[in-house]
Amino acid sequence: MKKDYVILACLAKGINRETKKGREGLFRIAQILSQNNPVNIIPEVTWKISPVVTAVYDEIETVKKIIKTLKEEDIGISIVVSGLISEIKKAVEEIGLNIHTVHLSLGTFGKKELLPSKKVLELTTSCGHHCISPQSIKHYAKLIKNKKITVEKAVEKLAEPCVCGIFNNSRAISILTELSELDI
Amino acid sequence: MRIAEDLCNGCGECVIICPTNAIKLIQKKAVINRDLCVECSICYTNAHCPVKAIKPERLKWPRIIRNPFSSVIATHKLTGIPGRGTEEMKTNDITGRFKKGEFGFSIDVGRPGVGTRLSNIELFTTKLAEIGVEFEEDSPVTALLIDDLGHINKEIRNERVISAFIEFKISPEKLQQVFKIIKDVEKVIDTVFTVGVISKIENNDITSVIDLINQHGFKVAPNAKVNIGLGKLII
Repeated sequence: MKKDYVILACLAKGINRETKKGREGLFRIAQILSQNNPVNIIPEVTWKISPVVTAVYDEIETVKKIIKTLKEEDIGISIVVSGLISEIKKAVEEIGLNIHTVHLSLGTFGKKELLPSKKVLELTTSCGHHCISPQSIKHYAKLIKNKKITVEKAVEKLAEPCVCGIFNNSRAISILTELSELDI
Repeated sequence: MRIAEDLCNGCGECVIICPTNAIKLIQKKAVINRDLCVECSICYTNAHCPVKAIKPERLKWPRIIRNPFSSVIATHKLTGIPGRGTEEMKTNDITGRFKKGEFGFSIDVGRPGVGTRLSNIELFTTKLAEIGVEFEEDSPVTALLIDDLGHINKEIRNERVISAFIEFKISPEKLQQVFKIIKDVEKVIDTVFTVGVISKIENNDITSVIDLINQHGFKVAPNAKVNIGLGKLII
């Protein structure tokens, strides 16, 4: 989890989502996110139309650098960072910002026996909208094991259905490599 | 979604990609289990069917309700944003929806990846309505509620979706009641669900919120979504 951070910028309905300044600001944020070597980012074609932009990073230092830039540019659009609370808190405090609101996860409940294995779940939940199927992960793990596809290409194929750009390709490479060495 | 049997060459690409495992190869032809299919359209958009056998269909009521609760590119008319939830805490620094001392909850029924019938929503909403929570008015799930008792339209109860996000907020004195509802529903529900708690933070003190949740017998994950307060009302 120390290598998985999502930065999300979101326009507010009825406030800045419908304004020219809001749209321009969101586009500028997308540019900043893009210029800082994201592991993944929402496709550029959506930057001018989507009310949210997202990008994934694998280093808290990069996240910190981006937050600093966003603070300096004072764009005024809401920014949410997902990842390890302790690391984000430290970064925010060092930049001189205050955490406004948190959304804490209490985990999964109910019929957990219906879930795939923990490792497979780590990949399926990397896409927040659950567009990645468990059987596609098993399929590519087998192909990698049989040397019919590279892990990089497999991750690229796996990430295709996740259009919001929060699938962590870099983390997926390590998990899929691990899975390909197991009999799943 | 439908698959034209006469065109299907049995390559199995759609079988692999379906997030709900609703497509099987039967006698070398891909067949969609209409009950399991949540109309997410991923087979159509991402399986790259070499013979174009996957055919979108004009969905009729009540089946049409599956799509906005399952497709990542479908935008709910109510929220105006893609996805199954609302802006909730993402823009709280501008909207002020969650004020100091209040708690927001997001219960995502069917998540992660198992899916749910919409009837499962009622297991929560009828009990939550009883204790007087404030359902998020922009939430697609709230739009499904037909009365103040937390019931949903009978016609859609059997429809299956990838997940349905129940969003509401409460004052702190109702915290224990909500946690009891979560524990009670967990015993009877036939799918999985995730729970998130939203809180406005003062003086960067997240620990006291985590401690409070822990006192109710729940464990907070080490990762979270953090609104860092850069939003402003000026634009």
